[in-house]
Amino acid sequence: MMGRRGSPVAQMKRWEEAAIGIAAIAMILASLLMVATKPVRVSAAGRGMGATVERLEGRAWYLSPVALQISHDGLWLYVVCEDSDVMLVVDTRAGRVVRSVEVGKRPKGIAISPDGKTLYVSDEASNAVTEIDAQSFAVRRTLAAGWGPVGLTTDRAGEVLYVANTLGNDVSVIDLRTGMERKRLEAGHYPEYVALSRDGSRVYVANLLARLAAPDQPPVSELTVIDCAKQVVAARVDVQGVIQMRHIAELPASAGGYVLVPFMRPKNLNPLVQIPQGGYLTHGVAVIRPARESADGAGSYRVSEVLLDNIDHYYADGFGVAATVEGRWALVTASGADVVSVVDAVKLRGLLVRSAARRMELANRLDSANAIVEGRVATGRNPTDVIASADGRFAYIANRMDDTISVMDMTRRQMVSTIDLGGPKELTRRRRGERLFYNASYCYQGQMACATCHPHEGLSDGLAWSLETPQLGRDVVENRTLYSIAGTEPFKWNGKNPDLETQDGPRTAMYIFRSQGFNSSEVEDLVGYIFSLHLGQNPHVAADGTLTEAQARGRAVFFRDKSSSGAVIPPMQRCYTCHSPLTHFTSRVQVNVGTATKYDTISAFDVPQLEGVVMKPPYLHNGEALELEDIWTLFNPEDKHGLTSDMNKAQLNDLIEYLKTL
Amino acid sequence: MTMQAWMMRRVLVVAGWLFAAMVGVSVQSAAQTPGLYTRWINYTPANGFPTGEVFCVTVDGARVWAGTSHGLVMLEGGRVKKVFTQEDGLAGRAVMSVAVDKESGDVWVGTFGGLSRYSGGKFTNYTNMTSGLANDLVYGVAVQGQSVWVATGAGVNRLDTRTGSWSIFNETNAPFAEPWGYGISVAKEKIYFAVWGGGVLSYDLATQAWKPFTDPDGEMELVLYRNQGLIHNIVSSVSYNEETKTFWASTYFGLSGYDGRNWHNYLTKDSGLASNFINAVHSRGDEVWASTQGGLSELDTRTNTWVSYRRDAKTGRGEILVTHADGSKERIATETSVAHTYILNTDFQGDDIWVATAQGLSHGMRAVRKEQGK
Repeated sequence: MMGRRGSPVAQMKRWEEAAIGIAAIAMILASLLMVATKPVRVSAAGRGMGATVERLEGRAWYLSPVALQISHDGLWLYVVCEDSDVMLVVDTRAGRVVRSVEVGKRPKGIAISPDGKTLYVSDEASNAVTEIDAQSFAVRRTLAAGWGPVGLTTDRAGEVLYVANTLGNDVSVIDLRTGMERKRLEAGHYPEYVALSRDGSRVYVANLLARLAAPDQPPVSELTVIDCAKQVVAARVDVQGVIQMRHIAELPASAGGYVLVPFMRPKNLNPLVQIPQGGYLTHGVAVIRPARESADGAGSYRVSEVLLDNIDHYYADGFGVAATVEGRWALVTASGADVVSVVDAVKLRGLLVRSAARRMELANRLDSANAIVEGRVATGRNPTDVIASADGRFAYIANRMDDTISVMDMTRRQMVSTIDLGGPKELTRRRRGERLFYNASYCYQGQMACATCHPHEGLSDGLAWSLETPQLGRDVVENRTLYSIAGTEPFKWNGKNPDLETQDGPRTAMYIFRSQGFNSSEVEDLVGYIFSLHLGQNPHVAADGTLTEAQARGRAVFFRDKSSSGAVIPPMQRCYTCHSPLTHFTSRVQVNVGTATKYDTISAFDVPQLEGVVMKPPYLHNGEALELEDIWTLFNPEDKHGLTSDMNKAQLNDLIEYLKTL
Repeated sequence: MTMQAWMMRRVLVVAGWLFAAMVGVSVQSAAQTPGLYTRWINYTPANGFPTGEVFCVTVDGARVWAGTSHGLVMLEGGRVKKVFTQEDGLAGRAVMSVAVDKESGDVWVGTFGGLSRYSGGKFTNYTNMTSGLANDLVYGVAVQGQSVWVATGAGVNRLDTRTGSWSIFNETNAPFAEPWGYGISVAKEKIYFAVWGGGVLSYDLATQAWKPFTDPDGEMELVLYRNQGLIHNIVSSVSYNEETKTFWASTYFGLSGYDGRNWHNYLTKDSGLASNFINAVHSRGDEVWASTQGGLSELDTRTNTWVSYRRDAKTGRGEILVTHADGSKERIATETSVAHTYILNTDFQGDDIWVATAQGLSHGMRAVRKEQGK
C-alpha cells in the first residue's frame, strides 16, 4: 500500500504541478526580464510605442527617424526621431533599441563631440539644442539657438558648436564652455545641414533653397563655408542650377578630397510638358573641391555636378550622403525612390578627371551613373540620413516613413538587416498621405514626388515654373507653399482648381506626374496630410503674441480705410478687402492687381493666403518680387495692388513688419 | 676760434639742419613730438587704384578697404588685391563708407546706390526700392551688435540683421533738424550721428532716447568762446573716444569735442588746425585727427600740440607743421607726403595711418617707431 504521497500517479501529478509552478515562475521571471530589457524611455510619458490609431489621428507620434550618429566604437547608433521628439539609442550588435531620450520639439539633427562623450540634438521647433551625456544619456542642458535649428557640428576641439538655423537663414556659433551663443553668421537661403571638414578648418553649410533671384534665371544655390579659426564666413560657393542641397560628406584627401552634397536640378524654366521627354527634374551630387585662395580672399572652390539618375529612371530627392572611412564608397540616399545609390569614389574621381575640360556638361548628362554607381540598394520608405561605421563594415540608413533603420554590409554593399525602431504599425490617414507625399514612384520615371517641389514639410521651393502652356516663357508661375491652405480654395494662380482633390488627383496625374497618379483613396489621404501642414513657428511673433510698436503701426496701415491725406480708400484698394483675416487673409477670388506681364495669358490671379507670408519669398504670381518691399515699390505703379503710393518709407516698413507676423 | 673756423662751423651747422630737414627727421622735433609720420606710400591710378578720389578708408586687420568714386578697393600686404565695382555686385559706384563687423567678418559698404554687404566673396545689396533702406544715398555705416546703422540722405536706418527688420529715424520721430545723416560712431551704450545741418545726435541704446547737440547760435558761422557748444550744425562726421569719454565732431567751420561737461572747440585762428573745413574726424587715445581740406591735422590733447601734414603741390614733398601749446611753430620737410592736401578720411592699422585724399590713398608710417625697431 502506498502512502498519500505514495501512488505513482499522485506523485506524477505533484511533479506536474511543481513543473507547472516552476514554469509559471519562469515565465513570470522571463516576462519581467523582457520588460526589463525592453527599451527604456528616459522621460517619455505615454507617447510612442503603444499608441493607438485613435490617439494617433489627433497627433502623429510616429518616430520618423531623420538623423543619425554613431559612437566611436560603433556599438551604439543614435537616431533622432522628428515626430516623437526623442533620440533613440540602438545597440548595433543586437539590432534593437535600448534607450529613448526625450529631447526638444521636432528634433532634426545630431552631432557627437570629438571625444564621443556628448551628443547634441537640434530641436527645430524649440529653437534649441539638447546636450546629452552619451554614457548616462541624461540631458545635461539646453542650449539656445536661432530659428529652426537643424544641422549641427562641433569644431575639432569640441569647444564650439555650429548650428544651422533654417528659418533664420543663419548659423549660431555656440561656445560650449559657457553654453552661450557667441555670434550668428548669415548663411544662404534655408541652411539645413552642416559638416566639419576632415582637417577641422572649415564648416560647410548646405542651403536648401537657391538665392533669391530673377525668376527667369536658373537657380543658384550656396554652400556656405565658415572659417573655424576666425569663426567668420570665408566663402559662399555658387552651385549653379540646383536647389535642395542636403547632407554633406567629405571624401578623404586620398580619394580626391571632394565635398559631396546631394541636390535636385530643376528645368523649371522649360515647359512642364517636357517631363515625358525626361531630364526635367534630375538628381545628383555636387562635387566640390576646395582650391587655392582667390584674389578676393574668399577662396576658390571647383564645383562639378554629377547626376545619379539613370536615363530612363530617376532617383528623386537625394537626402543623405556618407563616405566610408577610406573613401572608397559614397552612399547617397534617394528619399523619394527608397533607394541608396552606391557610388564608386574611384570611378567618380576618374570621371571628374576625364571631364575636367567640360566639367559643366556633367550637370546634364544622364549617363554618369553608368560609370560611377556600383549599385542601387533598396531601403525602407523615405530614406533620409545615412552614416557609415568607423571600421567601414556597416552603413546605417534612417527610413523616415516606416520607422526603421536599414543596415548595410559595406563589404558586400548589400542590406543585411532592418532594425525596427518600434513605431506604431497602424497607419493613420495623415501618415498614409505623408508617405505618398514623399514617394516619387507615382511620377513618370520617378522624376519627382510632391516633396520635390515642396521640401521641408510643405515649403515652396522658391522657383517659378512653366506649368501652364507648352510655350517657352509663357505663363510662368511661382510655386506656392502648402502651409495653412485648408479653406483657401480655389487653387492655382488662375484659380481653376476648385479643391485640392482636383489639384492632387487628375490634374497632377495628367499634367505633372504624367502617370496614372493617385487613386481616389490615396488622394483623400494626401489631401488630409497637406491640410495638416502649417508653418511651425513664426519667429516674428512674440511668445505672448504682443505686437511690437512697428508691427502695431503696420497693422493699422493694413486695416486703414483712409489715405494719408484723409481721403476714403476705395474698398478694392484696401489691404483687408482681398486679404481678409476671416478667410486666412485671402478673398479666394481672382483679382487683377496690375502684375500681369506680356507673357501672361490672364491678368487676374488668385489672391494668395498670407499666413506665413514672410517664409515664402519670392512674391507675386510670377515670383518677380524678391522681397515684400518689391511688391509695392516696383510692381504697384498704379495702386491696383492696394493704395500704397501715399505711404512714406517708414509706413511701408511698418506694414511689412506686420505682414511678417501673419 | 678763428673766423674761418667759425664760418666753417656755421656752414656745417646749416648743412646739418638742411640734411635733417631733407631726410625728414628733425632730432629736436622728434624729441618733442615723437611719432611724426614721415614716410608715406601712396596708392593712385598709377599703382592699381581705379581713381584718385578716395572718400573713405577702413582698416580690417591686415586688410584695408578704400572707398572711391569708382568702386571699393581691397588692399593686402601693401598691394591692391581687388577693385570691386557694380559689375562685381556693389550697389553703387561711389563708395562713401565702410564698416567691418568684427564678429562675422562681414563688410558693410555705404554707396550712393544703396548699402552693400560683402560676405564670403559675395555682395548682397539693400536699396530704397528693395529693402527698408530710407534712401540710397548712404553716407555712413556702422555695426553695433546685431544692428547695422546706416546714415542716409533721408534719415538714419537701423537694420536688425537677425530679424531683417528696418527702422527709420528722421524728423518725424527723432530730433533731426535736417534728415541728412553723414556719419556714425558707436559707443558702448550710445550711437552718435553726424547730421548735416542738424548737429550731433546721440541715441541711448537702453532708453531709446535721443539727444541733440547743436550750435547755440544756429546757423551763424561764429564762435564766441571755446566752451560755447557745437561750433556749427553742419557736421560731417563724429567720433566717440571711449578712453576719454569724449565725442569729436568735424564741421565745415571748425572742430568740436564734448567730454560730457565741457566743449573743446578749435579753429585755425587759435590752433594748429590746417583748415576749418573738416571732412572727417577720428579720435583714439589722446589723439584727435581732423581730415581737412587744407591738410591732415592731429591734436595731441595731452600736450595740446598740433601736427599738420600737407603736400607741397609743386615739389610733391611733404610739409609737417608742428604747433606747440605755447604757439611756437616748427616746419619739417619730408621726402614723401600724403597723396594730396585735401583729406577726406583716416583710419589706423596699429601705429600706421591710412589717409583717404582727393588724389589717392596714403599709408603713413612713423619715423621714430621704425628707427627704434631697427
